[in-house]
Amino acid sequence: MTRFHLGADKRATLDEAAALVTDGATVALGGGLCSRLPMALVRALIRAGRRDLHLVGSAHSIDVDLLVAVGAVKVCEESYVGFEQDLGLAPAFRRAARAGTLEVRESCCVTVLTQLRAAEMGVPFLPVRGVKGTDVERLHPEYGRVRCPFTGDELVVVPPLVPDVALIHAPLGDAAGNLHLDQPYVLDERFAHASRAVVATVDELVPTSAVAAAGVTIPGHLVAAVVEAPYGAHPSSCYPGYAYDRPHLAGWVAAASAGGDELAAYLDRYVGRGEDAYRAAVDVDRITSWSDSDEAWMEVFT
Amino acid sequence: MSWTFDEWFVVALARTVRDREVVFHGFASPCAQVAMHVAKRTHAPGSMLVEGATYALDPTPVFVPPTSNDLALHRDAVYRMRFEEFFDAACRGDVDRMFLSGGQIDGHGNTNVTAIGGMPQPKVKLGGGGGGCNISATIGTLTVWTTRHRSGRTLVPRLDFLTDIGHRTPEGDRAALGYPGGGPEWLVTELGVFDFDGGHARLRALFPDVTLAEVEAATGFDLRVEMGGPAEGVVAPPTDAELAALRAVDPLGVRRAEFDDAELKREFS
Repeated sequence: MTRFHLGADKRATLDEAAALVTDGATVALGGGLCSRLPMALVRALIRAGRRDLHLVGSAHSIDVDLLVAVGAVKVCEESYVGFEQDLGLAPAFRRAARAGTLEVRESCCVTVLTQLRAAEMGVPFLPVRGVKGTDVERLHPEYGRVRCPFTGDELVVVPPLVPDVALIHAPLGDAAGNLHLDQPYVLDERFAHASRAVVATVDELVPTSAVAAAGVTIPGHLVAAVVEAPYGAHPSSCYPGYAYDRPHLAGWVAAASAGGDELAAYLDRYVGRGEDAYRAAVDVDRITSWSDSDEAWMEVFT
Repeated sequence: MSWTFDEWFVVALARTVRDREVVFHGFASPCAQVAMHVAKRTHAPGSMLVEGATYALDPTPVFVPPTSNDLALHRDAVYRMRFEEFFDAACRGDVDRMFLSGGQIDGHGNTNVTAIGGMPQPKVKLGGGGGGCNISATIGTLTVWTTRHRSGRTLVPRLDFLTDIGHRTPEGDRAALGYPGGGPEWLVTELGVFDFDGGHARLRALFPDVTLAEVEAATGFDLRVEMGGPAEGVVAPPTDAELAALRAVDPLGVRRAEFDDAELKREFS
């Protein structure tokens, strides 16, 4: 029986969508760094009290750090978690890794890509070109080595990665779950094809004709649920709608670094009160002013 | 003309790019990011610049933002590679140079961007390696850099965790591991510039306000020194054209985020 998600209407509430992610699920987070992160779904998972998640993906930031801060994550298999040179290391991630309350199975963008491709192709393994001889190989007892029957080279091989769910935020989508993304797609297409289900949020739910006109990046048959969630990637960017909210991200890093009451206050203000209250607190002028002029765009980052 | 150390450092990185190379930087790398644009706008106009994390080809941003997956970095790019397309190119050898840094760097040019204190229970969990642990094996050559040499904790005899591959790991050298890429060609620090001789870092030039004794005190691995050549052991100062290119592309000064305040006070003329 096909794993495709048939049907013309996958519209759901944020709570219904979050309920499709179960405790212990392997979760692929869409977007990358501070761009197009599925933040409304991350906040909904925290409100739902999810536990023991296994996160997989490439380079991420506040999405992973928030989930780690509330103890929702058992295993983190991302290739990077942090705020680059702008805001530095991810405080909750760093603290949990040191305390041993988070199992960090750091991976590599290429390895994750290769594992997703194996899942897409339905083959039991694929080789990677590097990894051999690094300590990353030691973090992954599930990797193997194989001698190539054609060249004699010994290569590291990796098993398929089949996320239970991929959480993806898109600027546009329709009721059937057809999604339009702007580049860079990062791993989102691969996540969508390799996962058992995509759970999506969109800034704007539009008629199918409008998504088709913009271009369908992820087709509806891969998507189990779609939720209209304006500013659903905030505080990460989702161009052309909105840019990186640097003051908000800096506020998170400060609260997560301090822990205790400051962390609790952030969680209460931005997670606990629900998405309507969250949106009301977004500084829309700041994050949408980027398109006014180059000077205005630069101002967003200061 | 006068300039600050952060400007000189970026110019020193830029000079490692050759014309007609395909060159890439990873995220969290503002110095390398700005350096690639300086190279493209001065001595390496024929290079192909892959803007890390957006994979835009030869964009001309009017500023470099502090987050590297940002639309500002697509400016005027006619084409953006897909994630898969870039990494496939890097794995099969069609990317000539990558810039790579690390919390720790050993004498063979291996880097640790994963954890101080090692895994599974790190003293400090660093951000992580991105795509480096595969593509450091296959990319044509690497420019490795750090702005934290002076700390004494960065250039170490032995890494707490080996994330990215230099010239030799405990399992063997590149030939033994079957790695087609050339490995690190340069190591640029805030104290001086190293090349690699027989797969080991070798100091070739100092910035003029740095003494050899300072480098000796700050370097944990076996310090090999071969000063000389046309610059006679001193890093050549930036040209007016290089400084103009740098100031044009980095009005926000994102490069400065990589330096301690004391380094930013180093001024030259």
